[in-house]
Amino acid sequence: MVKRTISLAMTATLLAGLLAACSGNGGGSNAGNANAEGSSAPTASGSASGGGKTTVQFWHSVGGKNGEYLDALIKRFNASHDDIQVVGTFQGSYDETVTKLQQAVSAGTAPDVSMLERAYVELFADSDVLEDLTPYLEKSKMSADDFNAGLMGHSVFNDKLVSLPFNRSTPILHVNKTLLSEKGLSVPKTWEELKQTANAMVVKTNGEYSRYGLTMPYDTWYPIALISQADGKFFNDEHTSLGFIDNGIGDKVFQYLKDLQKTGALYYPPAQDSGNIVNQMFVEGKVAMMFQSTGTIGSLSGTVGFDYTTAFLPQDKKYASPTGGANVAMLAGSKHKDAAWEFLRYLMEDPDGGLQFILDSGYLPFTKKMAESQQMQDLWAKEPNRKVAYDQLQYAIDTNKDVAWPEIMHEFFSAIEAIMYDSKDIQSTLGTFKKETERILAE
Amino acid sequence: MKLEFGRLRTSINALLKIALLLVFVFPFLWMISTSLQTFRETMAFPPTWIPASPQWGNFAEAMQAGPFPVYARNSLVITASVIVLQLAVMIPAAYAFAKYRFRGKSLLFGMVLLAFMIPGQVTFIPVYLMMADWGVIKTLLPQIVPFMSNAFGIFLLRQYFMQIPEEIIEAARLDNASELAIMSRIMTPMSMPALATVALFSFVSHWNDYFWPLVMTDSSAVRPLTIGISMLRETEGISNWHIIMAGNVVLVVPILLVYLICSKQIVKAFVYSGIK
Repeated sequence: MVKRTISLAMTATLLAGLLAACSGNGGGSNAGNANAEGSSAPTASGSASGGGKTTVQFWHSVGGKNGEYLDALIKRFNASHDDIQVVGTFQGSYDETVTKLQQAVSAGTAPDVSMLERAYVELFADSDVLEDLTPYLEKSKMSADDFNAGLMGHSVFNDKLVSLPFNRSTPILHVNKTLLSEKGLSVPKTWEELKQTANAMVVKTNGEYSRYGLTMPYDTWYPIALISQADGKFFNDEHTSLGFIDNGIGDKVFQYLKDLQKTGALYYPPAQDSGNIVNQMFVEGKVAMMFQSTGTIGSLSGTVGFDYTTAFLPQDKKYASPTGGANVAMLAGSKHKDAAWEFLRYLMEDPDGGLQFILDSGYLPFTKKMAESQQMQDLWAKEPNRKVAYDQLQYAIDTNKDVAWPEIMHEFFSAIEAIMYDSKDIQSTLGTFKKETERILAE
Repeated sequence: MKLEFGRLRTSINALLKIALLLVFVFPFLWMISTSLQTFRETMAFPPTWIPASPQWGNFAEAMQAGPFPVYARNSLVITASVIVLQLAVMIPAAYAFAKYRFRGKSLLFGMVLLAFMIPGQVTFIPVYLMMADWGVIKTLLPQIVPFMSNAFGIFLLRQYFMQIPEEIIEAARLDNASELAIMSRIMTPMSMPALATVALFSFVSHWNDYFWPLVMTDSSAVRPLTIGISMLRETEGISNWHIIMAGNVVLVVPILLVYLICSKQIVKAFVYSGIK
């Protein structure tokens, strides 16, 4: 009896599934048409006859709240343009978007415009699949000088301007000022002050650390920041090797981190989900200071129950910070370049476009006009923490630019793990890393 | 004395079972609890166990973050089609491998096992290029067609069919039953537990799949729930865990329901293969 019921149930499910499968496939493409995504009709006739809309496909990697702000931007664009329909599609994380873009370019299904994590721009520029934007900028009476110079490090390759900044961030020092004030300490400005302050913040109860001084996510960003602050460069000028090993800067940076770690002044988080872990610890007051992206300022301000402030990353020989986040680029294979540019132009200079997105999301303003705008000035007056992030851009420097960076990055992660987790000898670990890098660069 | 020992044993037994149960249930409880909290509660330490006032609105908020009815429909259609097609391919294949003798049988079975061992990460680029060539990237087919056959299922079902005595099939043949009838009236009903197991495994792995749909689809019209939920995560900054967990609850509930329906059959499948 039981068997019979189950077999009946199974048959019913199978039948239902089969029916759904048949109708569903049709439904899938119908839905596509309805959203003007699937159909080729408007794209073929659109620009020529002007009868339909030109569809611009835009791939991005922004989820969550920021994804909603971006969707709102696309809606505003579509509402203000009768002849262009932008379809924005989330393609996973930055890395996943890169994988998808690689396969789509070779399959001929690439979008017109895509977001690209800044470090990957060179990879695509090198294979010549990105459109040179210079003529478009000129046509719209814009120039590369309109943009913040610190954010243009990943835009020009082989004399072509192939990408423009969009959702950009930079690491910054986040401070729990309430804790610092309890000990009468001020926000550290140098490595030396950072060391003292972080050590003063450490609390040990029953032989275990219950509060740490400083933390940072598990990422190459922060060691690279320290290397630049110590006046080193990630790659040497000839791009044949690393630029921070032979001059002892690598030793110095990692020795500094290890010294902090030994006394509990630095909490170095586990690799998995490290960003969330350090945010959580900072919010709970279990760590007094944190190196972390400017992208977290908005959510931290709304969450913490203490006096929260941001500051420049402390300097060693100089102030320096790398940049992060993503640029936008036009694919050379796009069939609707003018429409695609109109969307890019909207992102760059329309007050309802990029500026509104930056105001909503908390990413860095990337053009000079945006930074000078009344809305931005008002926001900064209200939230000075965001202004600090922008001001630090004058010290922005990216020295890890190379086509082979994604591959070398993995080696760098291995070296960071060996030193920070397994306390391997710094000098020999960095020596191995250097050898690996030279091998990769020689290929 | 003996009685007491027995009682002790039962209670230890029960305690261990409860402990084991907790290990498995804990993440689900955590998920459900988080899905009903406010953002502040998710960030609090020590963690909140029971939300002060359950935030049912989280579910609405998660579902409004994207075209979730479309995602849900796609998930259903993809998973159901895959299971139906797999059963249609798997049963005859397993029957042939178990009960027929033909030239090249072991070679072909070897190829099935080989397919079993190649992960999707190896084949996704050629498959994508092929699908793009056919012009079906904007349909659900790239998420269904590559999974029409299930090598693991063929393998498991073949083992199961091999345990069914030859005499039963002989008897059916004497009664003039066609091969199709033998398959559908005898082999299939007798191997329901194995079929349910394979179907459930297949259901769970396709319902939960993230990688394949992500690389095979370019637009939200053809995307399943898993991708919709991953979009709830922040790229940078602090994620709204209460919203993400509300999305996850929606994703997981169908699996639990199906499991509740099929669980008896699955246990049977493993018990049967045990006695042989």
